[in-house]
Amino acid sequence: MNRALFRLSLACLAMFVLLLLNVNYVQAFQANSLAGEPGNSRVFDQQFQYQRGSIIAVGDGSGHEVTIAGSRPVKGTNTYHRYYPSGPAYAPVTGYDSIFGKTGIEGAEQKYLAGTASSLTVHNLIGLLTGKPKQGATVNLTISAKAQQAAYQALLNEQQQGHDAAAVAIDPRTGAILALASVPTFDPNKYTTLDGAKLDKIDKQYRLDPAQPLLNRAINATFPPGSSFKLVTSSAAFSTGKVAGPNATVNAPQPFTLPNGHQLNNDNGQICGNGHPQVIEAFWLSCNTAFGQIGINLGGATLRDYASRFGMNSSNLTIPMPVSPSVVPLNTDRSLSAYTAIGQLDDQLTPLQEAMDAAAIYLVQSVQAPDLSTIQSASPSVLSQAVSQQVANEVAQMMIQVTQNPAGTAYQTAGPPTLGNSVVIAGKTGTAENGVNNVGLNDAVFTCFAPAASPTIAVGVIVKGGGFGADAAAPIAVQIIKAYLGLH
Amino acid sequence: MTTISSHPAARPAADAVVAMPRGRRQTELLMLVFAVGVVLLAYASVGLGLNGKLPAGIAEYGLAFAVIVFAAHLAVRRLTPWADPLLLPLAALLNGLGIVMIYRLQQSGRNGNPGFQISTMTASSTTQQVLYSALGVAAFVGVLAFIREVRVLQRYTYTLGAAGLFLLAIPALLPASHSAINGAKVWILLGPIKLEPGEFAKLALAVFFAGYLVAKRDVLALAGRRFLGIDLPRGRDLGPVLIAWAASLLILIFETDIGMSALFFGLFLAMIYVATQRTSWLLIGVALFLFGAFVASNLIGHVGERFDIWLHPFAGLNPTHNAYQLVQGLEGMGFGGILGTGLGQGQPFLTPLAQSDFIVTAFGEELGLAGLMAMLLIFGLMVQRGLRAAISVRDPFSKLLGGGLAFVIALQVFIIVGGVTGLIPLTGITTPFLSQGGSSLVASWALIALLMRISDAARRPAPQPIQDEGMTQVVRAG
Repeated sequence: MNRALFRLSLACLAMFVLLLLNVNYVQAFQANSLAGEPGNSRVFDQQFQYQRGSIIAVGDGSGHEVTIAGSRPVKGTNTYHRYYPSGPAYAPVTGYDSIFGKTGIEGAEQKYLAGTASSLTVHNLIGLLTGKPKQGATVNLTISAKAQQAAYQALLNEQQQGHDAAAVAIDPRTGAILALASVPTFDPNKYTTLDGAKLDKIDKQYRLDPAQPLLNRAINATFPPGSSFKLVTSSAAFSTGKVAGPNATVNAPQPFTLPNGHQLNNDNGQICGNGHPQVIEAFWLSCNTAFGQIGINLGGATLRDYASRFGMNSSNLTIPMPVSPSVVPLNTDRSLSAYTAIGQLDDQLTPLQEAMDAAAIYLVQSVQAPDLSTIQSASPSVLSQAVSQQVANEVAQMMIQVTQNPAGTAYQTAGPPTLGNSVVIAGKTGTAENGVNNVGLNDAVFTCFAPAASPTIAVGVIVKGGGFGADAAAPIAVQIIKAYLGLH
Repeated sequence: MTTISSHPAARPAADAVVAMPRGRRQTELLMLVFAVGVVLLAYASVGLGLNGKLPAGIAEYGLAFAVIVFAAHLAVRRLTPWADPLLLPLAALLNGLGIVMIYRLQQSGRNGNPGFQISTMTASSTTQQVLYSALGVAAFVGVLAFIREVRVLQRYTYTLGAAGLFLLAIPALLPASHSAINGAKVWILLGPIKLEPGEFAKLALAVFFAGYLVAKRDVLALAGRRFLGIDLPRGRDLGPVLIAWAASLLILIFETDIGMSALFFGLFLAMIYVATQRTSWLLIGVALFLFGAFVASNLIGHVGERFDIWLHPFAGLNPTHNAYQLVQGLEGMGFGGILGTGLGQGQPFLTPLAQSDFIVTAFGEELGLAGLMAMLLIFGLMVQRGLRAAISVRDPFSKLLGGGLAFVIALQVFIIVGGVTGLIPLTGITTPFLSQGGSSLVASWALIALLMRISDAARRPAPQPIQDEGMTQVVRAG
């Protein structure tokens, strides 16, 4: 029987080897994915027993770092409590950290904030050996506190007038996001309670609020870009050679009869220049008829192609929170491409995309992927090739006229009358007709960069129902730029 | 070379497997001191981990545990002086760690944070487990004292077989109110008495299988028809395997206990294989098992559900519903990682039944992969010592019984540890020596006693030659 017993021993050995391999798999290899399982109570409970990493805005340079989310010990217990020093102002950035879930940076950078990222393993091990209490990693954000506060204050004014609004500022050189604000918003401090029933009540209140305070309008809501899309149309026109340059003249009858018989009008039915303006004049006056004509010449496919080069129609942009795609659908109908060209019909952009448009014009040839966090010193990454140097210069030249030419749409609100000689902003207004049969109030849009000669900030602003882009959106952008550049 | 075989080292090479000649009781004592030391340190570590203080009653519990195991050692010195020196320390270490974990789970959370009080545990769980350990060691000593030769059990082959079947059948015959906990109808519940007769049936049936197979093995090994290069047994000899299979299925159906059912059938197959050395029996057994499992998974929803939980623990509603326990166990182990959280510093109490079926995941969480592997190796070593005794003992009945008992430890550990770590479908059986509960602990100690008895027989030196004034000498020519 010994031979059989030997074989039985081998079977026992095999069983133990299988068990050993399996526990190795579970505890060494699967550990990270198990920790990431939704509803993992241990990881969940742990987050209150260790100091979660802070979120810091470092966009104003060293010495001006501002903590926008931190954790402090609760007296007499074994737990830490999350707090947000200026909660609502940064809510669209930080999101919240609640016992139900996490949003914004709190959710997107969870593994760093909680200290579970695999890149922190060695650090944690050293901490374990030296007896240091476990701690999450600090996440540094590219956010500029100055720009963010200015954006939030300016948006609050709009909220008091009953408007939803959002603003995004980007450093066009790197794609770093300097400000990301949205109103109406919420107070993330209210989400930090450990009382499930209380939290449920607060959450329900926010979720059922018709004003949608939890919606991050800067990246997760889209609006028609209106005339600000003429920036893309111009780029396409110059790049393809369909229009020779800013000084070429374009036919701009009022009204302009589309191939399908519909009539396209300028704002208030005004005649665009002399009816045959140069493109640059049509741009600063923001003539729909001129750009409608250009749109028909370009065709829907070309317009969509250039929109995509600016980063639209992409559904996988993350900053690191996922950004809703900005959509410029393909219109093969020649008449409808006139609407596409002036940012109407089905065009839908996020405020972030508005800022990216302006940033792209400065950036000459590429669109930088915007990024919020610098934890692993996020290196600027190129999203796409937009336009050539020459075209960029030409479009920039036109955008400067929008604020500097006394007839430009934003001369009064973003030009010398408000700013004097302190800074030159290059921008484009948009006033998008809205709703079925355009009964809704117009959405005000402004996209710009400054200083025009060597830009350090690009801003996109959308005020829903705000009326004229120059009146409602441009002043917000001006506030942000002034705060960021330190102008008074 | 001509020597008097007074010293066993000089025994002929035929028995070369028997390498260790002396009793090795000193080794055993040393290892026991080590085991008690590890257990006491672990116990202290629980208190320090929970609230930075040594746990209350460390002296009392420690002393009680030390007294229990050293009593066992004294009994071994007297009753089985030649037995394997590792089996007792290994069993004592596992038993002690089990008590420590049960104490730890009873305390629950950290730092005056009571955590979740485990509803299936009471304030006296630890004391009870210590008492059960004393009972277990008493059973150990009792078996050593009353069964001086394993072979005497052979006389009671059929009595024990009937007893085993009866023990197995009791829960099925009792009304559910006296036999079912959480759906598994495997208990005898009479007032304060709570017995799991299957644990004892395991031992009785192992003896029965050994006795029966030793008697019938020549017949069972007869070859019948040849099929695909395998000698099939004769049709008329299929009876026993069919009966064992049917009994296993009955347990499955009437007691909804897949683990026990698989354990019995696996034990039977291993023993029939060892007795006959015929692979065909294994193949027939495995085929029957697969067929039974297939039918069961289709007929009994409970079984099919187990498969689903095993394959997709994280799918759909599983993590919060059917697979909650498994998922909690896995997440606990993952949370412990390689080095563990340290005793008292994890949250093993989040896993339902962490003190019984899932105790291994609690160790995995707090002692980490390193600790859990060490514990599995302790089990492995225990099995290896048992098999070694079986291989070296000469009497076929002892050989077969020893092999079966050692295998049943391995299989039970495989079924429960594999189940809670997601290797195989989960079935609720106890973890030998670790799980809370008296029946399992007492049966495990009795099992170790039988292995000790077999090992003692295997290692006992040949009888001293009778020195009759130089008249008769056992002389060997080298």
